[in-house]
Formats: sequence, structure tokens, C-alpha cells
Amino acid sequence: MTDILDTFNEIFLTLGNPNIWIRLALASILLIVLIIFSLWQNTDLEKKIIWSFLRGLIQIILLGSILLLIFGIDEIWLLYIILLFMCFFAAYTNWRSYPYPRIFTMNFIAITLSVMIIMTFALFSSAIPNFDGIIYQPNQTSGVSLGSYVIPVGSMVIFFSMRESGVALERLKSDLLKSKGEIEAALALGATPTRSIRGLLRDSFRASLVPTINRVAVLGVVTIPGLMSGMIIGGASPIEAAVYQVVVFMMLLTAAFFTSIITNYLFIKQFFTAEDQIDLEFFNIISQKNKKKQKKRKK
Amino acid sequence: MCTTTIESNDKLFKVINIAFKVGEQKILDNISVDINSSDITGIIGPSGAGKSTFLRLLNKLISPSEGKIYYQDQDTKNIPAQKIRKEIGLVQQRPFLFNGSVKDNLLYGPKIWAIDYSDDQLIQLLQKVALEKEFLDKQVEGLSGGEQQRVSLARSLANKPNVLLLDEPTSSLDINSEEIIENTLKQLSEEGIKIIIVTHSLEQTERITESILFLREGKLIEKIGTEKFFSKYDINEIRSFFKYKRSEDVR
Repeated sequence: MTDILDTFNEIFLTLGNPNIWIRLALASILLIVLIIFSLWQNTDLEKKIIWSFLRGLIQIILLGSILLLIFGIDEIWLLYIILLFMCFFAAYTNWRSYPYPRIFTMNFIAITLSVMIIMTFALFSSAIPNFDGIIYQPNQTSGVSLGSYVIPVGSMVIFFSMRESGVALERLKSDLLKSKGEIEAALALGATPTRSIRGLLRDSFRASLVPTINRVAVLGVVTIPGLMSGMIIGGASPIEAAVYQVVVFMMLLTAAFFTSIITNYLFIKQFFTAEDQIDLEFFNIISQKNKKKQKKRKK
Repeated sequence: MCTTTIESNDKLFKVINIAFKVGEQKILDNISVDINSSDITGIIGPSGAGKSTFLRLLNKLISPSEGKIYYQDQDTKNIPAQKIRKEIGLVQQRPFLFNGSVKDNLLYGPKIWAIDYSDDQLIQLLQKVALEKEFLDKQVEGLSGGEQQRVSLARSLANKPNVLLLDEPTSSLDINSEEIIENTLKQLSEEGIKIIIVTHSLEQTERITESILFLREGKLIEKIGTEKFFSKYDINEIRSFFKYKRSEDVR
């Protein structure tokens, strides 16, 4: 309890820092410029801009305060619960964007499974003799808590899993809708459902993974990752920071790929009936939702 | 109540009281018919009669909402879908070829069923559908509608089916190619492959079929021998009733 009070005390003390108010004032000037642009170009977005600015500011201040608390956590079980909550919210976000039947449950299972496996692997890798662990395990004398390592890495893994499984799912859904004839042609020749859409599954995974793989390929040349920069600024050796960054990227890719595989395979289970036919009812539902989505975009 | 006993081994399909609904709409309604194994059977009827749906039911691409379909005395519900589709090939009206070459398309089914084909055998398949051997390595994107339709037929034949269901397989073909395909179908029938063909051409129906299923608005009007059909009905009346064009006009 004292810890929490201390944290809030710390937060409120920063309000006395004039830098914060000057920054806010500058942000407000930019906000006014934005509104002038908006009025000039008749975008009718002025209210939305002001509302988003205020809402975003309040949300991010609250989030920042909570983060400070979470970063102070040392108990592994509590960190797992926080990660679970984050997985829940990620799956919910995907479901809002891709509102197809049972997407929330399927994506929640997929993200949670992938994230928990990869984070457990990272956390318990310190069991290797003479090794600090993929995720650095601070000792009691270091004054740094486990949460400040687990949560940032965990949030990245969850975010990538959410984003890439969403991209893969959307791609697969669009291709399934476009390729009904070809899928039935393959089924009519005796292909199993999975075989009949093998090419579509491959394309969906490629669509989601290639941008991240490219990001790894341009590391240090085009992108300077925040995590690595932070470590170097914090005094870590560049080699240590770079290796840590690459390991984290591999964790992100593995978890994201695994999440996409689980989500897409669960999704296609609904697309086919037990008699290996296209489930026309399900096909019509996603087809209608797709049309609604396209109409919304046009508006 | 429907009886499920099969009276004769001559029956290729025994269809009992089948209906197929999409939502509340009945595409097929209360159809009962026996299809014999010896004939080339034609399915005719105006657009929206449910002819293509009937073929898809026989290939188990869809299942009836009501009723039963027996294939060689066995309830199709109890036969695995893949096995039925290997035995009963379906050539759809639109070819829906897979990306890649003609050869890739021809080998799609054989790869599933571990049927070996040499290039010479594939060329023979192409000749059956009036395509030159040069087509084997062509990419499907460059093919005309008629060529695609013929590759689609050859692709089904490559599976060595027992029954071939054809949904207007010559609708985009010129007269010469149509003739070659019709001869191939007759030859296949002589070789023992049972053929059921949906066609919009009354001339073709007369030329190649021995019996006809006459469908209208999802109902079976009658099953009738081809000769009997053409003596019973006035062909011009049927044509105007079906809004069928003459094959030449379609082209």
C-alpha cells in the first residue's frame, strides 16, 4: 500500500515540473494548427480532433501511472495475470476489427497460448548455468523489479501476435470469399479441406510475416529499435543490447506466427462442414460482414 | 415414409425424396428418381430449375436438406466425401482452374490419389478434349474460356472416375470442339464411365443422351427416354418454354 502511495506521490510531484506545462502548451498550439488545416480543407474533423486529443491525453496519463505500478511488480504469478489481461484485450481489439463468428475466443486462445509459451521459455531460460536468461532476471540487490523487464517485452509479443494474426486472418478471409469456386473445384477432385486451401493459408501467413521479417532485415540501418536504444542509453554494451534486441524480435516472430497458425486453423474449421463441404451458412455470414465493412469504408 | 431398399443393381443412383433449401428458399423439392448405370443421362430444364444443384448433390459438394441419395446401393451419407468425389467426377460450368500450368491442373487429382501419369498419358488426355500437346506446359492464365473448359474436363478425367457429372461442358466451345468432346463422351460411356450431363442444347441432348431428367422450378417433371421425349414434345415449343437458344445462336 505504501508503495502505491509513494508511486502516486511521485507522479503528482512531477506536475510541478514546468517542462510538462510548456510541452502541453506547444501541443495545444499544434492542435490549433491542426484545426485550422481541418477547417481550411473542410474535413469536418475538428470536434473529433479536439476530443481525441483530450481523451488520448487523459488515457495515456492514467496508463503511464498504472505502468509505473506494474513495472514495480516482482511476483511472477501476478505478471502472468497482467499478461493474460493484455491478451484478453488484444483478442477483443482484433474481434472489433474482424467481427466474424467466434473470432474473440479463437484469437484469445491463440494469443494466450503463444504468448505464455514464449514468455515462459524466455523467463525460465535463466535455468541455463552461467546465463542471466533471455529476459534478464534481476537480483534483489539490483533495485530493479522483474515487471520492468517482463511487461515491456510481453507487451511487444502480444502486440505483434495480435497485429499479425489479424492481418493473416483478414487475408485468409478475403481469399476464401474470392476463391469459393477454386476451393470447390479442389474439393470436387477429392482434396481435403486443408489441401484445398493450402495456397491461401500460405499466402495469409506470408502477408502477415513478411513486413516483420523485413523489419528484422533492416535492423540498425533503417530502424533503430527503442528497446535497444534505451538499453544503450541506460549503460548496456551495444553488443549486449543488439543481441537482446534480436532475441526479442525472434520471440515476436515466433509468437506471431504461432498465433496466426492457431487462429487461421480454428477459423477454417468453421468454414468447412464435417462432410468436407463449404459451410454455406458460415460463408454467407462472413460474406455479409465483409460487404458491410466495405460499405463503411466507402462512406 | 420412404423405403430404403434398392430393387436392382442396375441403379447407379437412387434418389429418394430429396430437397435442398437455402434459407427458406427451396432450390430442389421432393425429387425421387433412379438413374441407371448404362445410359448417358441428360438433365434439362429452364434456368433456375436446380440442374447444377442436383449435380453438386450427387458429388456431395452439398448435402440434401431432406431425403437420401444412394450410390451403388450405399447411402452417400455413409461414404466419405473424398471417396465419393474420387469416384464421381464433377466438371462445373465455370472451369475454376488453379494457378500454374495445364499440367499442374491435370496432376492435381492424381497427386491426391497417387495415380502415376507420364507426359505421354497427359497428352492423350488433352487429345480427348481436343487440345494439342503444346498446351501441357502452358500457363492457365493465357487460355481462352473454351480452352479452360476443356482443361477442366481433362482434369476430372485424370482422376479416372467411375461417373462423370458435367455441367454444360461445351457451352463456350466452337462446333468442331463440341463435336470432339461429344465423341469423347460417347467413347467414355462405351468404356464404362457413366455420364450425367446438364446441357442447354436440345440438339446435344438428342445427339448423345439416352434418357432425360426434365426439371423445372426445383421439381422433377419427368424422367423419360430421349427418343420418347423428342416425339412427345414439340421442340420449338420446348425451346421457347425453356428460353433455350439454338446452339449456333449461343455461339
